Amino acid sequence: MTVLNTRMSLVALACALVSPTLLAEDSSLTNPAISAVLNGYYQTGERPLAESPDGFGLGETELAMSANIDDMFYGKVTAVVESHDGETELNLEEAFIQTMAMPAGFSIRGGRFLSDIGYLNNQHLHTDAFTDRPIVYRAFLGGHYFDDGVRLNYVAPTDLYWTMGIEAFKGDSLRAADEHGEREFKKVGIYTLYSKIGGDIGDNSSWQAGLSYLRNENGQMTAHEEGDGHDEATEDGEAGHSHAASYTGKNTYGADFVYKWAPNGNYKYQNLTLSGEYYRVSDFTPVDLHPEDAPSQDYHQGWYLSSVYQFTPSWSAGLRYGEVDTQELHDDHFHGQKLKESEVTLAWHSSHFSTVRFQYTHQKGTNFDGIEDDNIFTIQYIMSLGAHGAHQF
Amino acid sequence: MRINSNLAKLAAVALSVAYTGLAHAELNVFACEPEYAALTKELAPTASIYSATTALQDPHQVQARPSLIAKMRQADLVVCAGADLEIGWLPMLQMKSANANVRSTDQGLFFAADQIETLDKLASVDRSMGDVHAKGNPHLHFDPTRLLKVATALTAKMVQLDPAGAADYQKSLADFSTRWQAAIPRWEEQAKGLQGKKVIAYHSSFKYLFNWIGIEQVADLEPKPGLAPTSGHLASLLSRAEQGDILAVIVASYQDERGAKWLGEKANLPVVMLPMSVGGNDSSKDLFSLYDSVISLLNGVK
Repeated sequence: MTVLNTRMSLVALACALVSPTLLAEDSSLTNPAISAVLNGYYQTGERPLAESPDGFGLGETELAMSANIDDMFYGKVTAVVESHDGETELNLEEAFIQTMAMPAGFSIRGGRFLSDIGYLNNQHLHTDAFTDRPIVYRAFLGGHYFDDGVRLNYVAPTDLYWTMGIEAFKGDSLRAADEHGEREFKKVGIYTLYSKIGGDIGDNSSWQAGLSYLRNENGQMTAHEEGDGHDEATEDGEAGHSHAASYTGKNTYGADFVYKWAPNGNYKYQNLTLSGEYYRVSDFTPVDLHPEDAPSQDYHQGWYLSSVYQFTPSWSAGLRYGEVDTQELHDDHFHGQKLKESEVTLAWHSSHFSTVRFQYTHQKGTNFDGIEDDNIFTIQYIMSLGAHGAHQF
Repeated sequence: MRINSNLAKLAAVALSVAYTGLAHAELNVFACEPEYAALTKELAPTASIYSATTALQDPHQVQARPSLIAKMRQADLVVCAGADLEIGWLPMLQMKSANANVRSTDQGLFFAADQIETLDKLASVDRSMGDVHAKGNPHLHFDPTRLLKVATALTAKMVQLDPAGAADYQKSLADFSTRWQAAIPRWEEQAKGLQGKKVIAYHSSFKYLFNWIGIEQVADLEPKPGLAPTSGHLASLLSRAEQGDILAVIVASYQDERGAKWLGEKANLPVVMLPMSVGGNDSSKDLFSLYDSVISLLNGVK
């Protein structure tokens, strides 16, 4: 993963926070918008392929700054500070510019940014209603897929919301394993296509549905002489911390939906969010695989369904079920694997800017990293300070 | 040849129709709140106007939902309260709708709060104060004089965007101003008996109304702006209410009545739900009837 991987001092952190404030034209903290997200937790176990080890820990501490650069461009930087095994790392999760004045509903974004495939992927982790992304995201997209690249997006001039876009990325974090270091990877590894439609149903409900396709030029495995081909993270010696996807293939297809409801469309007191996504990763087997070694199922797949109900301004509860069904290469043949996660969460919001969350996860695995029947409890806080960021639907 | 000349005539007619259509193209207006949809309707009766929220929705907490992106994508003019009221959703809509025409107040973006002096501006803002706006209270549409100033500025904005319609916009403004200026003294006369009365209200939603007709809001149902009433805070309001000088407990049409009802029952005070905007109750069909309704509801508890 090509992230800026530096030891951080508190001084640098303080500078990152303070100096832009001095540049702001007025004292209202709105130009540029500067914000920080604090995130800490304690949990009794570790969810597979997630980024948070058990015990006490800090999640992603985000530092973000954004503003209109001039009347043509908008820019945003999001730095993420993570601690792992006593090391403090500074990663850039976003550093992009976007055009704001192109005609006819077109816009271009370039730099490092979150891909717009699926529903959850373009949202920041701190806005999630659960402590970790669904297992399907962790397995196929490395939690959330951000990368260096470019996007062209179009919004149609219709009353029914309709947007579509195309992206190209470097794709390093979605490369298939290359244990011998001999593979010549393509420089532009990822191309995506997506389209979303959405609208309202009366005053109470809104919805959005989307389809995505991800082409991964470097996603297909090469033949392995020995060893374990599936777990890139382990090979990097950074178990539990790589943003890399664990299961890749040449073609990934996704479908997503979200439905939100609030009485009279007033989200302040009560509201409900239902969402779900499905992904299928195909063409992952090595090209020169002997037909007799072919897996019983020639695709990986995974999905989740999530429901979150905010029943007062201060309390919300959520239920999520997700599973992945994958093929793991051992020596020269494949084994089927399965993981099912059922999760319940209860969150207290002292204001719009602070959340304390309790989450229980039950995992049921078949041939999946030794997980058979595990229970994990997490308590987590996520708080934001600084500018009030606008949230996506 | 005859056919050809007919075709040419037809084409000429079609062209001139198209041209006239362009010259008098009606503005497509996206209003953040229903009061600004209503004001735009007064000033540009034939414009195509869409209100992003209703009077039953808290404008602080609106989802940047797909339908709003689609509507903003097509807008020539976006009219909002401003003063950071829409900070949680408007920037996202601007980003996602990719409509260059409504990005800047130099072009098709209009903030009402920019046109007037807001109340309660703050020199510095700290989140321990709750969800407050440094740029002042954005719920300015219940001050008739300020709203008239906004109407004048909004007309100038529409003339800027659609110069061909200038005469029509000016005529509508003159008509609206005459009717509005005639209504102000009438409302002030009706509200005379409310002067100096004390109320407990939810949020600072009616700050401008109270400021105008001389009502004093002595306490807030919210412990801090943006936070829902807590039982401890309600208990302190009850002891305040027991002083016996409170006229009523007031909530807006998008606010939860439970805290107010509890206080009303315990302190034996009437609870009045006022329409926050046009459409907030059955009688508020435009800005005039909204003001009529609010004053008559307040007079009803006197």
